Amino acid sequence: MRGRHILEGYSFIGLWIVGFFLFMAVPLGRSLYYSFQELKTSRDGLIADYVGSLHYRAAFTVDVQFLPLLRDTMLAMLRHVPLVLVFAMICALLLNRHAAGRMLFRGIFFLPVIIASGTILKKLLEQGAAQLPIFMQYDLYSKLRLFIPPDLLMTLLAYSDSLTLVMWDSGVQILIFLAGLQTISPQLYEAATCDGATKWESFWKITFPMILPMIFVNTLFTMVNSFTKADNGVMNHLRTVVFSNNNYGYGSALGWIYFIVIFLLLGLVFALFRKHLASMEGRG
Amino acid sequence: MEETRYNYGRRSFSLQLQDGLRHSAARRGRTIAGALLYYFVLLSLSFVFMYPLLYMVSKSLMQSWDVADATVRWIPKSFDLANYRIAFAEMNYWQGFANSVITSFGSAALQIVSCSLIGYGFARYRFPGYGLWLALLIFTFLVPPQTIVVPLYMFFSSLGWINTHLPFVVPAAFGHGLQGALFVLIFIQFYRRLPGVLEEAARIDGAGHLRTYWQIMFPLARPAMLVVFLFSSVWHWNDNFQPSTYLQLPPFYNLAQRMSGFYGKASMASEQMSQSISAGAIGMAPTLLNQIMAGVILSILPILLLYLFVQRYFVESVERSGIAGE
Repeated sequence: MRGRHILEGYSFIGLWIVGFFLFMAVPLGRSLYYSFQELKTSRDGLIADYVGSLHYRAAFTVDVQFLPLLRDTMLAMLRHVPLVLVFAMICALLLNRHAAGRMLFRGIFFLPVIIASGTILKKLLEQGAAQLPIFMQYDLYSKLRLFIPPDLLMTLLAYSDSLTLVMWDSGVQILIFLAGLQTISPQLYEAATCDGATKWESFWKITFPMILPMIFVNTLFTMVNSFTKADNGVMNHLRTVVFSNNNYGYGSALGWIYFIVIFLLLGLVFALFRKHLASMEGRG
Repeated sequence: MEETRYNYGRRSFSLQLQDGLRHSAARRGRTIAGALLYYFVLLSLSFVFMYPLLYMVSKSLMQSWDVADATVRWIPKSFDLANYRIAFAEMNYWQGFANSVITSFGSAALQIVSCSLIGYGFARYRFPGYGLWLALLIFTFLVPPQTIVVPLYMFFSSLGWINTHLPFVVPAAFGHGLQGALFVLIFIQFYRRLPGVLEEAARIDGAGHLRTYWQIMFPLARPAMLVVFLFSSVWHWNDNFQPSTYLQLPPFYNLAQRMSGFYGKASMASEQMSQSISAGAIGMAPTLLNQIMAGVILSILPILLLYLFVQRYFVESVERSGIAGE
């Protein structure tokens, strides 16, 4: 009986396991192998030459672009993720209210999921179409300069510019939060109101703990997304190295360094959330 | 806390009544103000979300005289689809459209079938190695596609799959491909919520495991399917990274690539133009910018229409699909 059960389970996920080896494990292993080689294209395919950790050392010492790009990407991510999470949460809370026309508003709020991915977003940004007119049109800078010190003002305006980006990036996250909010039973809120809790209190005592798993998923999703976005500097650098310079070995090494950095960061997030999530699972 | 409750108890009844009446009036006033504020916030956010689209549509309909006319801000003086005609011809639209449809809808359909099967296996069965494979599934979700693109490219080119749709479609059939792991996770989450009674009933009636899945459980997963189909097709449609790696000859380009190409060509041409007439031109030459916007609109028009069509069901099914992850 037990043997049959194993067989049944694997008959469902067997397909994925085959795919995992074909499209993930083997390529991953090969790219690790390439990162220690110098690859040259010749008539009979690629010729590999063992060079040890040369590429890895080159990434940190010779390549003048890589480290600054990596640092910028990390900093942008650190700024971006909390903003996306807070914004998506606010939108989800707004859309979760039982008000007339909310279906229409939901349709509009998910629009970025459709248009703001990949190339389109990049082109729009280059054209300034994703920037709000309020910040430039009304000459906000010169008006506010009288009241706010220019350095602070510039950073504020830069933030408000990136705010549009935040909105455009948070479509899927709004969706996930909204789906999470739907699973919270309204009786909990009623009970809390009877006990005299304010809206603010019941948000922190009910909504927040209940939605913590979705915050975790959204954090992961936003991070992975911002690392692989089309306008990511490291990604573009990687592509130039691999496809324009045909430097496969070095490209693989860069890819691995980047991957390890990402993985460490994601591991940190996992560790931060683990305690809370473990206590959640005990309940649910 | 203690003190206020004590005071409240000591108040006379009439005082309490008065208090209550005053409160309810104040509360009604507050709810109206709250609703107004609520709709104001919603509307302004909606405008921000719509803004780029409105901007593109407006710009793409403008001709050179509209751009030169300072009174025209949003609505052009005359209605003319000239920009669209140029972009349409320049991008060789139908060819790109066909390529995009095959890669995105083909992959999306295959991912529904494969990811649902795999998700069901993970959601309903416990077997030795379960934890390991689930961990590897999450690992797959986290690996950036760019890390493995070089070996994958070599693998596909050794099979002769470059400039075909196979590098998109075949991984999708195995539950991989663009965001495949995420879709498996969505299906796991969905199947976990379904009651086990359904399967027991099917077993008692003599259905085997695969038949139970295929005839009972899979049709129930429609909300999750809709979400996965929409995400998968849209992300495939807009993705530029994989197509530009695997589709290298112009006839095989999909719409996103053609749009990029057209964009590059048009902005280069307009740069030359603005150099030659530098004094009169401010920024980008007007008509070319408008053609670019028409090209962008054309390239996303099919999925915009798809979204308009399924939007209602999509928004509803998100609530039931358990997309809310782990």
